[in-house]
Amino acid sequence: MRRLAPACAVPASILLIALGGCSFNPPRFAPEETAGLPPQAELTQVPFFPQKQYQCGPAALATVLRSSGAAGSPDELVNEVYLPGRKGSLQVELVAAARMRDRVTYEVSRDLPSLLRQVAAGSPVLVMQNLGVQLIPIWHYAVVVGYDLDTGTLVLRSGTTERRVMGMRRFMSTWNRAQRWGLVVLEPGQLPASAQLDRYVAAAAALEAVGRLDAAGRAYTRAHEQWPDSAWPQLGLANVSYRRGDRQAAEGGYLATLALDPGNVVAHNNLAEILSDRGCVSQARSHAERAAALAKGTALEAAVAATAQHVAGATAADSGVSCPP
Amino acid sequence: MIGLLRTLLVQILAVALLSVGSPLVVQAEVIGTLAGLESAQRNADLARVNRVLATADARAQLQELGVDQAQVEARLAGLTDSELSTLADNLEHAPAGGDVLAVIGVVFVVLLILEAVGVIDIFKKFP
Repeated sequence: MRRLAPACAVPASILLIALGGCSFNPPRFAPEETAGLPPQAELTQVPFFPQKQYQCGPAALATVLRSSGAAGSPDELVNEVYLPGRKGSLQVELVAAARMRDRVTYEVSRDLPSLLRQVAAGSPVLVMQNLGVQLIPIWHYAVVVGYDLDTGTLVLRSGTTERRVMGMRRFMSTWNRAQRWGLVVLEPGQLPASAQLDRYVAAAAALEAVGRLDAAGRAYTRAHEQWPDSAWPQLGLANVSYRRGDRQAAEGGYLATLALDPGNVVAHNNLAEILSDRGCVSQARSHAERAAALAKGTALEAAVAATAQHVAGATAADSGVSCPP
Repeated sequence: MIGLLRTLLVQILAVALLSVGSPLVVQAEVIGTLAGLESAQRNADLARVNRVLATADARAQLQELGVDQAQVEARLAGLTDSELSTLADNLEHAPAGGDVLAVIGVVFVVLLILEAVGVIDIFKKFP
């Protein structure tokens, strides 16, 4: 379960100096971890919004939103992500606010080389840190905008400091205590570095779920190009067509999904729904039965049962309707 | 007149009763991609979230935490069903970022102790 840390605040410079001095002892990476990674990178174009008291969440979010081309100032974002009663912002609300601006919110893999790869590819990474200790947490959001493998340092937009240089070891201890949470915010046509299919499609599907259909459609299209053998981007495109009212495109999309994955329960269910509405009752029944068998014992069982009931009550159309085989 | 009203009432009730038992009540609809993904990725026994209940719960808690009523709905609109349910379940149990000054005070005491036992060496400049 995702932890809800009401992050932030902290003019933390005093603490940081106090807790560890400034000796940057470069961490050693296995050669394969940093293969292909440039030794240094810094995204100097990423804007800087100095945080106001407790409001590192809005400031950090505005930083990554702007650099993805979306609108949003820290002051606007306070209304969307700041919780006065907690004097901080929750991760899940940062994600939701970016989503409502049509951005794909992709959680980066929980290791430093993966984080650096995002930066090298041009995406600043919004990170959560715990600047305190496990018992006395001091939650903080910052944005990683650069790194140097030789000196073992990172560059962050953090708090009121535009260019905080931090040793990687120090960063790792603060990042470890925040479950190594890091987020990139992307325009829907863009893929993150070393994109993972399941996480990317889940981010696109979340856009679909909250009704951002154009953004979801663009993200699915990109994912379909990247992973042509996966059924999920195809299913997503079909669902977007359905939600837009284009049932013909949706039907074709569900059939294409089943061609890639004959056991896709959602495609069977949704196809049954469409086919029964246009009178292809026997085909609808066979898809509904297949969906029911596949959904047995899963979270989708009730939804699939409702479809089966709907299909059972449908009447066959005249012979003029052309139904799929 | 009363007779007419009574007839009307009976007709309304009859229609209402009929619709309770009819298949129209079952809202069949297409399943979203996210629900499919979550069902495929997680344990099968995980029930689907009741969005209506989770929304009501989260709404009340956000208002309690000082979020303006006018902004609550917009904030909840960007959350998926499972995020909404996680939010509703954890808002009050989440670790409190709360009063930073108090926290810094505690850290300061810890630093003083570490200094006193010789683990760190940062206050020596001061007499």
